[in-house]
Amino acid sequence: MVELIQVWLSRPNFIAFVILFLWGLYITVVHHNLVKKLIGLYLVQTSVIFFLVTTSAKSGATVPVLMSEAGSVNPEMYVNPLPHVLTLTAIVVQVATLGVSLALVSAIYRKFGSLHETEILNRLE
Amino acid sequence: MTYHIPALVFLVPFVTAIGLPLIALRDERRCRPAALAALSVMAVLSLMNLGSVLSQGEIRYAFSGWAPPVGIEWVADEIASIMVVAATLLALVSVLYSSPFPIQTLQGRSVPYYSILLLLVSGLSGVIYAGDLFNIFVFLEIVALSAYSLVAVPGGRALVSAFRYLIMGALGASFYLLGVAYFYASTGTLNIADLAQRTPGLLESKAVIGGLIFMFIGLGIKMALMPLHAWLPDAYSDAPDTASPILAALLTKVALLVWVRILFWVIGVGDAEQPAVVFSLVWVMGALASVGGVVLALSQTEIKRIFAYGGIAHVGLVLIGVGQGSHTGLTAGLFYLLNDAVMQCALFLLAGVLVHQYGVRTLDDLKSVNVSSSWVVGAFVVVAVSMIGLPPTGGFFGKWYIVLSAVESRNYFALAAIIITTLLTLAYFARVLERMFRGAPKSPQVPDTPLSFRASVAALAAAIMGLGLWSDRIVSVLLEATRGLGQ
Repeated sequence: MVELIQVWLSRPNFIAFVILFLWGLYITVVHHNLVKKLIGLYLVQTSVIFFLVTTSAKSGATVPVLMSEAGSVNPEMYVNPLPHVLTLTAIVVQVATLGVSLALVSAIYRKFGSLHETEILNRLE
Repeated sequence: MTYHIPALVFLVPFVTAIGLPLIALRDERRCRPAALAALSVMAVLSLMNLGSVLSQGEIRYAFSGWAPPVGIEWVADEIASIMVVAATLLALVSVLYSSPFPIQTLQGRSVPYYSILLLLVSGLSGVIYAGDLFNIFVFLEIVALSAYSLVAVPGGRALVSAFRYLIMGALGASFYLLGVAYFYASTGTLNIADLAQRTPGLLESKAVIGGLIFMFIGLGIKMALMPLHAWLPDAYSDAPDTASPILAALLTKVALLVWVRILFWVIGVGDAEQPAVVFSLVWVMGALASVGGVVLALSQTEIKRIFAYGGIAHVGLVLIGVGQGSHTGLTAGLFYLLNDAVMQCALFLLAGVLVHQYGVRTLDDLKSVNVSSSWVVGAFVVVAVSMIGLPPTGGFFGKWYIVLSAVESRNYFALAAIIITTLLTLAYFARVLERMFRGAPKSPQVPDTPLSFRASVAALAAAIMGLGLWSDRIVSVLLEATRGLGQ
């Protein structure tokens, strides 16, 4: 048990990821306000992006730009760039999702005059 | 030249979608012809691609010449090519069918509507062709974002359905991306062909198992697998009648196809002992979804919702076939997936015709009108026969191969689930057909069914019959394409 906790504590970034992810999921499921739901969703998406970035972290490494052509390349010296590239694309997707969702929320507000889920559902009946 | 066709198939609708505001700058009515032209070009290109793939073997397209696994790769194998042809032709038929719907229903928003529709179709071809997991994520999101906006087009109720779909869909995408991150962290690659060489030995690893589970949850939401299906009936029944055929035909099917790809092309390769647990999970979920879906379909009164739950059940049937883990099961699943895309498209198209011509939305409405058009009734009977699974339609042969794979694996629970699903499908179609045939003798005269309705329902009914009559050929192509996969 102690060892397990030690393993966990040696990776605080993963703990942070799990907390952020579950927190976001909780907000999305529990809150009735549509904008709060979106905030939860945003937190979930951001936590996944955070997880992707954190897997590529490496202490003592630098940006993946070759300093000189001479000699062999030592991969220990460089940070893995691919997760960052994936992250950029994922952020674009996230922004697009946020845009569409905010457009929907504002259309819902204009139509129903409320952002509260139960009120909107009552008005639909 | 043939090498570049997969990229062109994607680019034609994509560029048209972006250029549409310019094309329709002067006159909104140019939108539909432009969309039709783009989809026709896309259909011709995808057929050319299928022809060249069938005669000369698969095309592996490396973007900008960067060789995989470093570059982005698209794989146009037989399965992807067949699916793209199906997707394109179904999109073409559903745009053709939309012409009698007055353009005013879009309230001056026909430019964004057709742009998004074209984006959706190009995204679908991207998902089907994409050869690496992250690329699939991006295209799935293009498809999903277009789908959210299309569902929301009628306003009112549809906005709420679209919002609910968006929350579920975006959570699903996050789960899928998390799974992809796990796979990348444990293998260092995202290319499907490259992963196939590295993962089989890694299935002991908890990270890979975790990644697989996250991907299954994410794709499960996207394919409306039974406990995660809540978004689908609302979204499909509130979507505009012109868009729901294409949504119903392809949204869930591409997610299903991605899951099949991961199951067989990534983890199912090599030694067959370890993935057995995964496969049994898949068929059990499939069996639950298929029985649950038809039971819920029986309890609905709105026609579009009945069909939506029928679609959920059919996703389960495909998973039963795939979950047998055998070569027959894989082929059966893929063939049924193709059939199901055509059947769902036809069902929602007919539901749209019923709404437009007769004003029928629920089963009770159906009792009070006389559906006089022989085209509509004939096509409906063909689709119903295929959904139930009677020869000589495509649905029968699809189901036949799924049953065959279940019997081969001596999996009698799966067999029971298929039989129950078939009987209950018969039951809910009997409810619809009974009301359709016992229509009111004296009902107001309806105008003649427009030519585009007749043509599109006839084309899809013919496609369903064709899939049955030539099932032999298609299945042998699929068997050849999946050689060496599964036990």
